[in-house]
Amino acid sequence: MALLQISEPGESTAPHQHRFSAGIDLGTTNSLVGMVRSGEAVCLADSQGRSLLPSIVHFASAEILTGYEAQALQISDPLNTVSSIKRMMGRGRQDVGQPDDVICYDFVSSETSKVPRIRTRRGDLSAVEISSAILKALALRATQSVGGVLDGVVITVPAYFDDAQRQATRDAAKLAGLNLFRLLNEPTAAAVAYGLDQDSDGLIAVYDLGGGTFDISILRLNKGVFEVLATGGDSALGGDDMDRAVAGWIMQQGGFSDIDNSLARMIMLAAREAKENLTDSDSSEISIDYQQSSWRGNIDRDQLDKLISPLVKRSITACRRALRDAGVDKADIAEVVMVGGSTRVALVKTMVGEYFEREPMCDLDPDEVVALGAAIQADILAGNKPDSDMLLLDVLPLSLGIETMGGLSEKIIDRNTAIPVARAQEFTTFKDGQTAMSIHVVQGERELVSDCRSLARFELRGFPPMTAGAARIRVTYQVDADGLMSVTAEETGSGVAAEIVVKPSYGLSDREIESMLRASMDHAREDIELRMLKEQQVEARRVIEAINAALAQDGQMLLSDSEIAEIEHHRSNLEAAIESATSEELKQLIRAIEDASESYVAKRMNASVTQALTGKKIDEVDV
Amino acid sequence: MQSPDFSQTYFELFGLSPVFAIDVARLRAAQQGLQATYHPDKYVNADERDKRLSVQIASWVNQAYEILQDPVKRSRYLLEINGTEIPDDSTTTSDSEFLMEQIDLREQVDACRHGDDALLRCDQVEAKLKARAAELAAEFVSRFDARELETALQTSRKMQFIQRIQQQLSELQYELEEY
Repeated sequence: MALLQISEPGESTAPHQHRFSAGIDLGTTNSLVGMVRSGEAVCLADSQGRSLLPSIVHFASAEILTGYEAQALQISDPLNTVSSIKRMMGRGRQDVGQPDDVICYDFVSSETSKVPRIRTRRGDLSAVEISSAILKALALRATQSVGGVLDGVVITVPAYFDDAQRQATRDAAKLAGLNLFRLLNEPTAAAVAYGLDQDSDGLIAVYDLGGGTFDISILRLNKGVFEVLATGGDSALGGDDMDRAVAGWIMQQGGFSDIDNSLARMIMLAAREAKENLTDSDSSEISIDYQQSSWRGNIDRDQLDKLISPLVKRSITACRRALRDAGVDKADIAEVVMVGGSTRVALVKTMVGEYFEREPMCDLDPDEVVALGAAIQADILAGNKPDSDMLLLDVLPLSLGIETMGGLSEKIIDRNTAIPVARAQEFTTFKDGQTAMSIHVVQGERELVSDCRSLARFELRGFPPMTAGAARIRVTYQVDADGLMSVTAEETGSGVAAEIVVKPSYGLSDREIESMLRASMDHAREDIELRMLKEQQVEARRVIEAINAALAQDGQMLLSDSEIAEIEHHRSNLEAAIESATSEELKQLIRAIEDASESYVAKRMNASVTQALTGKKIDEVDV
Repeated sequence: MQSPDFSQTYFELFGLSPVFAIDVARLRAAQQGLQATYHPDKYVNADERDKRLSVQIASWVNQAYEILQDPVKRSRYLLEINGTEIPDDSTTTSDSEFLMEQIDLREQVDACRHGDDALLRCDQVEAKLKARAAELAAEFVSRFDARELETALQTSRKMQFIQRIQQQLSELQYELEEY
């Protein structure tokens, strides 16, 4: 028992009042969870000391595996092992999988849902469900580490994430049973992790090249207040693309054709390994052995640089843009913070250093830095640091607009507007007695609605019927601190609030979320029982089928009538019980039928051996 | 939670005098002070009512800040609280001299589109537009101070036109950087 409590200044001295909170970096390639322990942010490691959890989920028939365990099954069972799911968050089927993608899942389209699903043996699953499995694994690591319940979490998202992607992340947290304090932009988290809030005021550029996304953010720091001046980037640029570029080169060099999913995975893994090796050495060996195809080769730093330099250049263009958006000069940037595993690549460090004309900060582990920052923010939001004056002010990453006549987008809230923010617009009716209208909200910078991302259709209903042009319908668009939008509307003359039906274009509907929640681990026990029951039902059907087939084949020949009757009696019992019995009852009935047919099985085996041997010379028998 | 007075002007909200030439650093400091009080992050563990209220107030503060930190919006807002009716955006200018200037500036922006030194020429036009915007801002201040609100509105409109051309130029710069 602790007789003496020593606390950091500004920390709670009453330990029982301390609220446990965690920061989660839900990444494309790897995910991490961090916590503030004894006043210091740390990333939590698994039993083998690894803080990274590969963002991979494997769906086995009996359980869901995540991380390294799932990664181990990537090659042997690619269709039931899902990686890089973050790319699918809040996305439609047409958005996922570029033509050069070498890995395909079994996508299912459904009439009842707008969300693409991946067919696995655990059912057809959405990105939200798959991500929630990762969140659950990380939350479990956190609760086991503190031996208590988490009060809430902060989950990071790329600053570039649009409304649908943020919503999907929030849904995944809900599904994992987590209380989400806030979604935090990854670059802001990184700046917090470096403790830049304690530094002198100035402008900070955060260059974040992760597995699947690139973000550049320009932050202004002023007396502990982080203000995001501008964010930019590319939601489809990252280390995975580098791997793909190297994989393409390997396929070309090795002359591979006929590439199936397993071989593709193997080449991708080899490509990643080679890229990582080249961080510390000048050349790396590559060897691929798969069925009839095999290849051994060598890649050097120059070759890697040649393959990936177009990708790094794309990131630099985005940097230039973000500076312009922020209205600041390159020379005004005081610090450049490097985030994401891909910033370990030598060429990235060099090109970023050259562009900003200063040495980028990379003292902290670039994989951990975002989770550490999220942990610090979660600790503050949980109320464990009442004296903290740190405040993170964010901006809207992409403009919000509504569809007008001719398929054009009319901007309601411009990109980089500080959030939370609200805007109101007034509409009128154009038909006599009109009581409903529809608003199509899109997000993006382009003129044409078809070039923007469709967010949702809002149907406003139930305002009082009036003559055309008489109604004044005031529609308010509210964006909260997480960058998520909601819409309210009222007829200002009568004060009647409209009833609003939201039809998200890509997100899951509330009903879908609800049914997923119901089916989720909150009912883990029923879930397990249900799974066992399903397995026993399958087993029962298999036994019945086998018995029927055997009896039809040789029942009359090998068994007496009473023996047949007994087996049939047990079989009927089992048949009658399949739909209604519990898994335990089914198990017993199956055992009963197996017991009853034990001697029959022995007789059949003898008979089949005799039959197989009859009329054959001894040297023809396979021994 | 103590709600601020929603009927005060944005200048009052930030503790600034209602003039065009504001101290931008003070505006920013005041905005951050208000956000430190009302931002939803401060109400993560509060009840639903306070959570909602904090989103509303923080949105209002952001809206106020956005208007005051933008010269064109600030000039219009200043005229509005001084009782000038602001016509719709669709109103066109009748000042033929300014019309000619606009056409000329637009042509200069378009001319940047071609040639090897396109980005360099963009920079030159950018500097010219910046100088013109400063000139107009000074003109606005003198007219507003002389309480010539109608002519001040004319100047505000000219400022808006220049701002639009600046935006067009910045879009062009995007395009050129993309190749």
